[in-house]
Amino acid sequence: MTQRTSLFQKHVDLKAKIVDFAGWDMPVQYTSVKDEVLAVRQKVGVFDVSHMGEFFAEGPDAIAFVDHLVTNNIQEAPMGKAIYSPLCRENGTVIDDLIVYKLAPQRILICVNASNIDKDFTWMKSHVGKFNVKFTNQSNDYSLLALQGPQTEATLRAFIPQLPSMEYYSVWEGECFGKPVILARTGYTGEDGFEIFGGHHIIAELWDGFMKAGVTPCGLASRDVLRLEVCYPLYGHELNDEVTPLDAALGWTVKQAKPAFIGKEALSGYKPRFKLVKLLVEKGIPREGYAVCDGEDKVIGTVTSGTMSVVLNQGVALARVEADKVTPGQKYFIDIRQKKYAATPTSKAFVQGGHK
Amino acid sequence: MSTQIPKNLKYTKEHEWVLIEGDTATIGITDFAQSALGDIVFAEVPDVGTSIAQGATFGVVESIKSVSDLYAPLSGEVIAKNNDVEGSPEKINAGAYEAWLIKVKVKNPGEIAQLLTAEAYDQFCQTSA
Repeated sequence: MTQRTSLFQKHVDLKAKIVDFAGWDMPVQYTSVKDEVLAVRQKVGVFDVSHMGEFFAEGPDAIAFVDHLVTNNIQEAPMGKAIYSPLCRENGTVIDDLIVYKLAPQRILICVNASNIDKDFTWMKSHVGKFNVKFTNQSNDYSLLALQGPQTEATLRAFIPQLPSMEYYSVWEGECFGKPVILARTGYTGEDGFEIFGGHHIIAELWDGFMKAGVTPCGLASRDVLRLEVCYPLYGHELNDEVTPLDAALGWTVKQAKPAFIGKEALSGYKPRFKLVKLLVEKGIPREGYAVCDGEDKVIGTVTSGTMSVVLNQGVALARVEADKVTPGQKYFIDIRQKKYAATPTSKAFVQGGHK
Repeated sequence: MSTQIPKNLKYTKEHEWVLIEGDTATIGITDFAQSALGDIVFAEVPDVGTSIAQGATFGVVESIKSVSDLYAPLSGEVIAKNNDVEGSPEKINAGAYEAWLIKVKVKNPGEIAQLLTAEAYDQFCQTSA
């Protein structure tokens, strides 16, 4: 039995194609993936991402508790900041990647992937121990919209005139139409944008308002293209239960200088088994699971995510390759239907998002 | 879903259309297929001279997010390919029945009887939609 977000009927009325994603009936596209991607890159689009999970840590040890759980530094981040971080086991493998929102000294919101809500909550709850914290899963009480694109701020201000000036990756707890909302200047597209957490009614009101204002409804397919164009990892693809953040180019999120956190010992001095590479192909479209080969036809890795980039009109891929098989000036080929296509590694993201 | 199904063509359950003219079969994908796929961004079909076998894959079309195999409606030898569609696959979205993919010299005329009529294909689309 699949679950549905509070906006499900609105997607059906808009004639969205619906697919099962992580046990949820979600809109995968409304009109065209290409149009939805371009709306976000050039104007403004909105995603229903209410399937994602919301946990709250509240109490005197809220910050210390979350800082102990995740690899990034929550303690030292200023109040009002959003912090992206992996959540690891003692052996360093990744349980999930998530965003921590420092709402107040004793109040933290954690947003997690829909597919990992139960796994994450069980793990985190089991580590409350001596921390003086109330840790709750409020996923069923919240709906979540991601309003993304260069026109996001202007669009949002029409609904929330008191919206303060906010920097990228910051959060604000306020009101919209007299109802509480949490606004974060975060997203998964590389563009400027806000994520809006609120009760089901206020989020439905906002969705309707955005539709009337001409915002493009966008589905999961365009969301995946957008995140891949800017090389953001996706759990279940670049990240999973078997790899560490250091196998997935997320070394910047592991703060070894922190006195203690779960996975610190395993990750200190860890020699990555894999390297995550960004590959551009001239012809053909790389897809998840395709083999990555070196110049001698030896398989050295696998495509973890691949698509046609709408912006570049070219195939792009993230690939996990065996670290000890990569040499300077490494040549890469992707096996597409038994033919080898040359792929060019790049250090920068395929597309530079316009976020602040 | 409303979809165009010209009466003069034959069809397969894999959503290919076939125009039979003498011993030449022109093959493409249907309006139903292009609509289900969405933005088509890649098409790959065999070169002239290739032999294809009824029911076997002979190429692919890809949308931004998915790969779909093409299944040969009939056996035969490829006598022409539409380079225009390989270069501009979006033409399949613009007009599925103009954007033919390959022309085949039919090897076994008996196979033609196994193709669906427009009425039968229409019925099939309605039950599988």
